[in-house]
Amino acid sequence: MTDIPVIYFLWVSAFLFATGLAILLLKKNTIFVLMGIELILNAANLNLVAFSKNDPSLQGLYLSIFVLVVGVCEMAIALAIVLQVYRNYRAIEVDQFKSEY
Amino acid sequence: MSTLVIAFLVLALLTCGSALSMLWTRNLLHAALAMFLTMLGLAGLYVLAYADVLAVAHLLVYVGGVLILILFGIMLTNQTDPATGKNHLMTRESSRLLPISIGLSFFLGLFWLFTKGPWINNLPVTGESKLREVGLGLLTEYAFPFELAGVFLLIALIGATFVAKSHD
Repeated sequence: MTDIPVIYFLWVSAFLFATGLAILLLKKNTIFVLMGIELILNAANLNLVAFSKNDPSLQGLYLSIFVLVVGVCEMAIALAIVLQVYRNYRAIEVDQFKSEY
Repeated sequence: MSTLVIAFLVLALLTCGSALSMLWTRNLLHAALAMFLTMLGLAGLYVLAYADVLAVAHLLVYVGGVLILILFGIMLTNQTDPATGKNHLMTRESSRLLPISIGLSFFLGLFWLFTKGPWINNLPVTGESKLREVGLGLLTEYAFPFELAGVFLLIALIGATFVAKSHD
């Protein structure tokens, strides 16, 4: 039985990246935009994992674990900021954030 | 076609299909549900790439943590519809043509780029858990970044609670 070729993983990750980018550009809700960022991060992670699949030193796997940690931190901080912005503007759509001065 | 490739195709279909439905839907809660399915499929793909440790961590973190955070974010920033008095979950979006064509061109470009490269195929299946190696590596060779990640997580969580509290 042979292994799954690396290129299949790369295709899936390219698809996820493109979808995340389209969500980022298309949606106006900030939480939606954050979900798009998560998709892009996971596409990068899938790439790293696919390349370290047959690598005995597992460097891509270690890097992807740290990417996971950074992604979670980003999500927590970003949602806190979204909450605070919502308190100030009563809106979470990106084109509604206007300065009052 | 081997069983592995069939399992890969099913998981890739789940991942890509739910990512597409995330792009397509305008309902915020439907998008959160689709993101749950995407993360589930991605964890399966990680298992197929022999990264079982990462798959479990991914499930714990994304399904258990980030998705709950997103649901709390949706709940705390709800906007009631003045006409009906119900929660307004439909989001606005800019015109669909430009973002989708940019995404599609990115996908086609990456697809073409990946197809060009010479990849090594037909490797034998190793199929053993990397849990022991990863655990040893995180505590010996990668101990400093591991500790740094822990401190970073602590700083981020304290910062998040500080930013989220009301500053009146």
